[in-house]
Amino acid sequence: MASYCSLLYAGVFLPAVVLCYAVTPQRHRGKVLLAASYLFFWLVSGKLVVFLLASAFSLHHFGLWLAAVQEERGRLLAAADKPERKAIKAAFQRRLRRILLFALLLHIGTLLTLKYAAFFSANLNRALEAFRLPFALPVPAFVLPIGISFYTLQAASYLIDVYRGTVQADRNPGRLMLFLGFFPQIMEGPICRYGQTAQALWEGRPFTWHDLTFGMQRILFGMMKKIVIADRLNILIKGVFSNPAAYDGGITALAMVCYTCQLYMEFSGTMDVVIGSAEIFGVRLPENFRQPFFSKSIAEFWMRWHITLGTWFKDYIFYPLSMSGPLKKLTGAARRRLGNHFGPLLAGSAALLAVWLCNGLWHGAGWQYIFFGLYHFALILCGSLTEPLARRVAGALHIDRSAAPYRVFRILRTGLLVCVGELFFRAEGLRAGLSMFRRMVTGFTLRPFTNGAFLELGMDGHDFFIVAVAVLIVLAVGVLRERGVPLREALGRQHIAVRWSVYYAAILFVVIFGAYGVGYVPVDPIYAAF
Amino acid sequence: MKTCILPLAKGACFLSLLCALLLAASFLFMPKNNHKAFGMGNDELVAGGILGERENSIDVLVVGDSEAYSSISPMQMWDEHGFTSYLCSTGGQPLYDSHRFLRQALEHQSPKVVILETNAIFRPYKLSDYLASRAKSLFSVLRYHDRWKALTVNDLSGPMGYTWTDDLKGYRYNPKAAAADARRHMLPSEEMQEIPPLNRVCLREMLDLCEERGAQLILVSTPSTLNWNYPRHNTIAAFAAENGLTYLDLNLMTDKVPIDWKTDTRDKGDHLNYSGAVKVTGFLGQYLKQTFDLPDNRMDDAYASWHSALLRYRNTVSG
Amino acid sequence: MQPGVDYASCRDLIDGRYLDSLTILALVAELEEEFDVTIPTVEIVPANFNSAEAMWAMIERLQEES
Repeated sequence: MASYCSLLYAGVFLPAVVLCYAVTPQRHRGKVLLAASYLFFWLVSGKLVVFLLASAFSLHHFGLWLAAVQEERGRLLAAADKPERKAIKAAFQRRLRRILLFALLLHIGTLLTLKYAAFFSANLNRALEAFRLPFALPVPAFVLPIGISFYTLQAASYLIDVYRGTVQADRNPGRLMLFLGFFPQIMEGPICRYGQTAQALWEGRPFTWHDLTFGMQRILFGMMKKIVIADRLNILIKGVFSNPAAYDGGITALAMVCYTCQLYMEFSGTMDVVIGSAEIFGVRLPENFRQPFFSKSIAEFWMRWHITLGTWFKDYIFYPLSMSGPLKKLTGAARRRLGNHFGPLLAGSAALLAVWLCNGLWHGAGWQYIFFGLYHFALILCGSLTEPLARRVAGALHIDRSAAPYRVFRILRTGLLVCVGELFFRAEGLRAGLSMFRRMVTGFTLRPFTNGAFLELGMDGHDFFIVAVAVLIVLAVGVLRERGVPLREALGRQHIAVRWSVYYAAILFVVIFGAYGVGYVPVDPIYAAF
Repeated sequence: MKTCILPLAKGACFLSLLCALLLAASFLFMPKNNHKAFGMGNDELVAGGILGERENSIDVLVVGDSEAYSSISPMQMWDEHGFTSYLCSTGGQPLYDSHRFLRQALEHQSPKVVILETNAIFRPYKLSDYLASRAKSLFSVLRYHDRWKALTVNDLSGPMGYTWTDDLKGYRYNPKAAAADARRHMLPSEEMQEIPPLNRVCLREMLDLCEERGAQLILVSTPSTLNWNYPRHNTIAAFAAENGLTYLDLNLMTDKVPIDWKTDTRDKGDHLNYSGAVKVTGFLGQYLKQTFDLPDNRMDDAYASWHSALLRYRNTVSG
Repeated sequence: MQPGVDYASCRDLIDGRYLDSLTILALVAELEEEFDVTIPTVEIVPANFNSAEAMWAMIERLQEES
């Protein structure tokens, strides 16, 4: 069960869980999901399930500890006189903060050790070598439990939320375990908050025909993205990126665009399957994508792409940092000198830099990921810095910034910048990425497209055609969603013959045009590796 | 109760219609002949050649992985003894595929003997791959869906019947030689290598199928320094004894099958080459002929095509 | 701030993505200075910044608490 689009998940595991869920009385349904989730984790990662169990266990205890201290503070505050209150508050604040730090250290420390120890010791060794120092650290090779990058962020958000008092510490270990390990989202997110899903998952929603059909529609749509588009593009992308020196600028550009497309289709397709699966159980998971390729700027792109990661960084890194004492003072001072646009930018960009370093590193231990994070940081900062200028230039030239041609220009520009970022992201190391980029810029020609060389990369004309058709379908759905057309509701109002014809057509489309079987290697879940 | 029955009926309706549609699509996508030109998958092409053989004309059927198609040459057995055999063997064949080829062959053939090359018994496979294979057998559109690129109007009609067969009858000729280090080959040991549980189930099903169809199943381990060893031998020997099957481990019969590991392997002991196959086939043909009283069809006009295939086979192996 | 948005009556400043994070930083600094309160990080949630009224309600609450 390596992927949510596999036969074993969609054809066996999910239907079996749905069946158990439907026949179980409502008050025990949470337990069905809980058992299914830990079985799922065990099927994928085997013994490493102990990591998840340990996480859930410590989450439960730290939550209760924080709650106990908060309760004590409440009692003391109620008994204390007004002047004493400030001192009590401060003392408890310190205590709570220490507990929180300890808990976060445990969770995030595990992640850091397992994921980054090898990267840091390898780089340290390189530095030691450069200075001709005669020692070297061992480079450990840990096996990562599946989804650790995702559930660790969920765990951290729960702890911080309890600390901040935005959620109550949970006394029910089962509910916390399910919140942390719910099987559809464990591998690739979305990264949920306790307040969003924990209760809904545990209480066992009623099982309805409506949720079942809507969920299955969504799963089918996601499978289409993954199996028809992402898997079909795989052979070309693998070929070019594993041997970049053999291809000229035109082919490199083609591979870059194909990879960006693959990444989006794979990740958002998996999200459709994940959110659709949860929908069958009556649970609404937060959306991770909102038509990102309609963005007019990089900043907007990140509000539409991997949304739950972006908001996590915003809520738990960006705001706490930029609202911390020193940076707040900086903002105040800068605002008076530089005005309301550039003033907050100074402190904001410092916090932003931290966010993007984390974002890059979160994707993996490698310099290309750090570069990827800094690349987007630089673009967002540039966008903010030049915004007043752009407004003035547009005003002077009488360009209507809301007119369609200008919007299209901005959308295409953003798409191109994103593609370039993904080139570095996918390249096998930063050096390979830089040389591919150089070749693409200096050696770009249309020759591979006129002499047919692009058809010799493992995809023939038929393959490109069917990918184009599928991308157009996704695009059409995207346009309708942008316009706020409730597509599934509209379909639901149609006559049963129309509805079923659409379903059958969609199923046969995936079955016939999917890239599976002999001669195809499906792309591994890209984000599950992060 | 009523609120429950309606959706259930609706769901059942939807699923049965879906099955009907998939069956229709399977009809459309099924290769209409077993020629390569009709879209038979590359790997299945040679093994699928058995579909082009006359009904009930094959005396010995062989299933197994590349060890089988490197070691056993049906044409040589025809030449020397006059009984017919065919290899449904594919590279890296998982045991469920051996089972599938056996099922498929038994639809049109009733061999006296079925040989299973034992290497495939130890190749583990995932439950999901097995389920996928069963689903593909049920709805062949899942196996042949990629033919959408080459679909023509002719595909709307039924199958034309299978007309192609392989001149080498599943054997794959390879004269290359790369010497193996056989010093540690078949060092005696008491250990047993466990058969993966899914394979055990599959093996049992194959056994039952052969019994039901009146075919003798025999297990043969062809010589390979890389793939065969005593722990595997012990397991298969025990399994054969338990089920009353004949087991031939050619790795141990060095007097009857004198493999020279310097000249008889093409890839350092993984597979035999042509000269190795000649030795294995020479012994195996003799053994089968004597043990199972197989017919000599060489004078029968119905087997004329085998004579012409033999000429082409000789042409192939002589140069 | 974007032109063409009626900030006084808009009710989904955050959810409708009219305010980006840097603008919120400026806004928080402005509010803190103007009304002499400290806005902790916990309060930066869409519910508190979606409309002018919501912001006012938050400030009144914070003033009361301190």
